[in-house]
Amino acid sequence: MTPEDFERKELLSYLRTPSLDENLSAMLESCLKSLCEVIEPRTIWRVLPVEHTEDGVKLGGFLLGGKDIAKHLTGCSEAVLMAATLSGKVDSMIRRAQLTDMTKALLYDAIAGAAIEHVCEDLTAALRAQLPYEYFTERFSAGYGDFPLTQQADLVKMMDATRKIGLTVTPRMTLLPMKSVTAVIGLSHSPVTDARRYTCGNSCALCPMRDDCAFSLPDQ
Amino acid sequence: MDFRTLLRDEFVFLDGGMGTMLHLAPGELPERLNLTEPQRVAAIHKAYAEAGSQVVYANTFGANPLKLEGTGVDCTESITAAIRLAKKAVGERACVALDIGPTGQLLQPVGSLTFDAAYEAYKTTCIAGAKAGADLVVIETMSDLLETKAALLAAKENTDLPVIVTMTFTENGRTFTGCPISAMAITLEGLGADAIGMNCSLGPREILPLMRELSGWTTLPLIAKANAGLPDPVTGEYYITPEEFAGFMLAYADCGVQIFGGCCGTTPDFIRAMRKVLSQHHRARRIVKPRPAVCSGTKTVLLDMPRVIGERINPTGKKRMKQALLDMDFDYLRGEAISQTDAGADILDVNVGTPGIDEAAVLPQAVCAILEVTDLPLQLDSSDPAALEAALRVYPGKPIVNSVNGKEESLKTVLPLVKHYGAAIVGLTLDENGIPTASEERFTIGEKILHRAMDLGIKREDVYLDCLTLTASTGANGPTETLTAVRRVHNELGLQTVLGVSNISFGLPNRPLINRNFLCMAMQCGLTLPIMNPMAEGMMDTVRAFRMLAGFDENCNDFITAYQDTAAKPAAAAPQDQGDMTLKGAVAHGLRADAARLTEEALKDHAPLEIVNDMLIPALDEVGADYEKGTLFLPQLIQAATAAQSAFGVLKSHMTAGGEKADKGKIVIATVQGDVHDIGKNIVKLLLENYGYQVIDLGKDVPPQTIVDAAIANQVKLVGLSALMTTTVGAMEETIKLLHEQYPECQTIVGGAVLTEDYAETIHASCYAKDAKATVDFAKTVYGD
Repeated sequence: MTPEDFERKELLSYLRTPSLDENLSAMLESCLKSLCEVIEPRTIWRVLPVEHTEDGVKLGGFLLGGKDIAKHLTGCSEAVLMAATLSGKVDSMIRRAQLTDMTKALLYDAIAGAAIEHVCEDLTAALRAQLPYEYFTERFSAGYGDFPLTQQADLVKMMDATRKIGLTVTPRMTLLPMKSVTAVIGLSHSPVTDARRYTCGNSCALCPMRDDCAFSLPDQ
Repeated sequence: MDFRTLLRDEFVFLDGGMGTMLHLAPGELPERLNLTEPQRVAAIHKAYAEAGSQVVYANTFGANPLKLEGTGVDCTESITAAIRLAKKAVGERACVALDIGPTGQLLQPVGSLTFDAAYEAYKTTCIAGAKAGADLVVIETMSDLLETKAALLAAKENTDLPVIVTMTFTENGRTFTGCPISAMAITLEGLGADAIGMNCSLGPREILPLMRELSGWTTLPLIAKANAGLPDPVTGEYYITPEEFAGFMLAYADCGVQIFGGCCGTTPDFIRAMRKVLSQHHRARRIVKPRPAVCSGTKTVLLDMPRVIGERINPTGKKRMKQALLDMDFDYLRGEAISQTDAGADILDVNVGTPGIDEAAVLPQAVCAILEVTDLPLQLDSSDPAALEAALRVYPGKPIVNSVNGKEESLKTVLPLVKHYGAAIVGLTLDENGIPTASEERFTIGEKILHRAMDLGIKREDVYLDCLTLTASTGANGPTETLTAVRRVHNELGLQTVLGVSNISFGLPNRPLINRNFLCMAMQCGLTLPIMNPMAEGMMDTVRAFRMLAGFDENCNDFITAYQDTAAKPAAAAPQDQGDMTLKGAVAHGLRADAARLTEEALKDHAPLEIVNDMLIPALDEVGADYEKGTLFLPQLIQAATAAQSAFGVLKSHMTAGGEKADKGKIVIATVQGDVHDIGKNIVKLLLENYGYQVIDLGKDVPPQTIVDAAIANQVKLVGLSALMTTTVGAMEETIKLLHEQYPECQTIVGGAVLTEDYAETIHASCYAKDAKATVDFAKTVYGD
């Protein structure tokens, strides 16, 4: 990744600030450059059959918990199970900065948040181009709605993501490296109705998640 | 069949993929099949043995107590069944290996698994495997060097079986956790593996160049067990044919690989094809030159030129460091590690020996804390063998042990540790009679240490000698004798040489000048490992200039990189607007350097606490008020806090020197058990410290009872807890419950992404903090303004 891959406005939304002074802007640029040097994006995905049952929706034969993910995959015959990570070096960089300059740590953390989103977006775009489906749902992750976070370990196992991209899960279901994502994307030949759509901070006024979203921008 | 006998052959053939052959249904657990469908597993072993595998891996890859927890499958039962069924299936045709894979969790400090927990899990596995009759232990598909070490130690310490180890690399020559090939090689060879190599992740084409590199780093037999190419993401299938795969193996034999097999996507046909291709071939004889090197889990330092050992993490003569150790303030150690790393040190010495400290308990903790923030290899510095062993166990890589000396007692206790854990050793040239004055006698003691080490099997290149710097003021010949001894060790023994450089100037004026000159003279005599302060004026400059002039710095690249910016800059840029800037203003605008400088100035006329109360806190209050009003945001708030922090740094060293402490009250804070997200907690810590509270930071993933114990021991009035996940707020509730039971007068404040005011009330926290600022506000009400 390169600094040019990031919109500055987007980074500000991750920092939850409408603007930065000259000093902080310069710091942001330098952090962006350093972080881009250590990011090693890695992704893995599998296309798995979706089966709607009385107990809920099954993905690749595995029952996913909660009603929301079932709703999300309505009308989908298959779904992509994906994982993405920025690698452990990013975590170390953020950790180290917390001891030397907390401002930098905050900037790194925000940039890494944006970066993992980019990696997911890029993968989604590639999947849209590559897979023989017309309609794709948004990404839906364990922890969204009533899709239990406790299934994180099972999702990682289904993709063999520890072996394939070095993604691990702690006993309390934290993904490590920290800047990582697992998600399900529904595939369909007819229009899909997402259970929810997480948006990006660019259109807060229209977003249904506006009131709960950690990234919503202050009114400008 | 005996595996070590097999190793006398030109080639040894392992098996191929197990998962590939099992065709698991969704959710099916391979280790359960040993008990429920033994014939299904046995058929695969049989097929491999018939195809010519001389070693089959029992179906125990995930059979450790950590991975099997909650599955209803007992680790020992599964392993016992797996080994027995494999032995029955292959008979005398093949050895049966206990197969050990990763736990699937990351070890501390990155993850939450402790070294001891990983070791215990592997110990259970190894004992079960050996008891069931495994012929060897295979540790495979490893990514983390420390976890690999835990498995290898568990195998070596609990069984007599041969142990072979393969790790899994990405195309950049590192594992997912950043372990380079060289670090893997020197660490595992030191720990006594019987053969090492690579498996999984990549196909034979991609692994080949990595094997070539590995071949130059070890004298051990090499193992290659590649995947059948890269899988198709849609189908998960592999496409390389057995013949294509086998075709690559000629090149592997040409770089000296002896042990062949396959990983994901390979089948008995691949083994057959490899045997066929290699039957007419010989493996290349490898000439491996000894390369003196040490490493951490993520970085190897080759000792091919003078390398600097940073000396700052040592309480001797350093009040601030001593206090940090007594307070268990590991952040201070981490800070010293970062500044030495940034200053250009190659290796860091770690010494925690000071009265009141249990070295055996603290040294391993210090090692883990330091490795959280630096890649540099460490030198474990203690005279207590128990402390050395405790640190050697948890160190990921090949460290230096500082030190052994010529005394019988020292040789007998320290050298076996060095051998067992595969470390390098610094030998001090002194013995029962003290430090000899003459270089001749120091050289003799050095030789004795070398021979005693080699008698135990420690490699010659892993013995470094310290000919001891004596203070120049004690006698005219002192420095000359030291330098003569260094020259002889370097020239006649060809060993690495170590010296604590700054001892030379003790008790003399203008110490930096003496230190720089002595350093330069010593390097010219063959000093390769100066122990010194890399931040001290001119010291790194001297090392860089020496490396460049002595021909260690090709095209002067490193030298130019280090100094090109200084050439362009005016000598000393005067701080701007110096006249107008106040300390308050510097903090409010987040100017760290100015804040520190203005604090130094303020100390001339004001007491430290006056500066805190009348300048720093009002500035922070103003910034905090703007933050609450929404006219200023988190980055600006934190920037002001870091500026205040740098002011505090100045005050703290001033106060420690005078025996004072900033103390508005002690507060214990922690991220609760199971949770490893702690940036929020660290921001809270920063702000609390800014307001003069003494924060006892227990870190992340802290068990409830540890938090309660710390609160009671320090008699704090307030405990702050942070949790970021719905899965960890339970641990927060548990902590508060224990606190109420054991220390009811203590108040609690909680925060973190998933918490709400309502939830905080439900778990009986005294206060909910919506942000770091709210914690400070509550602390003020608890401790009084």
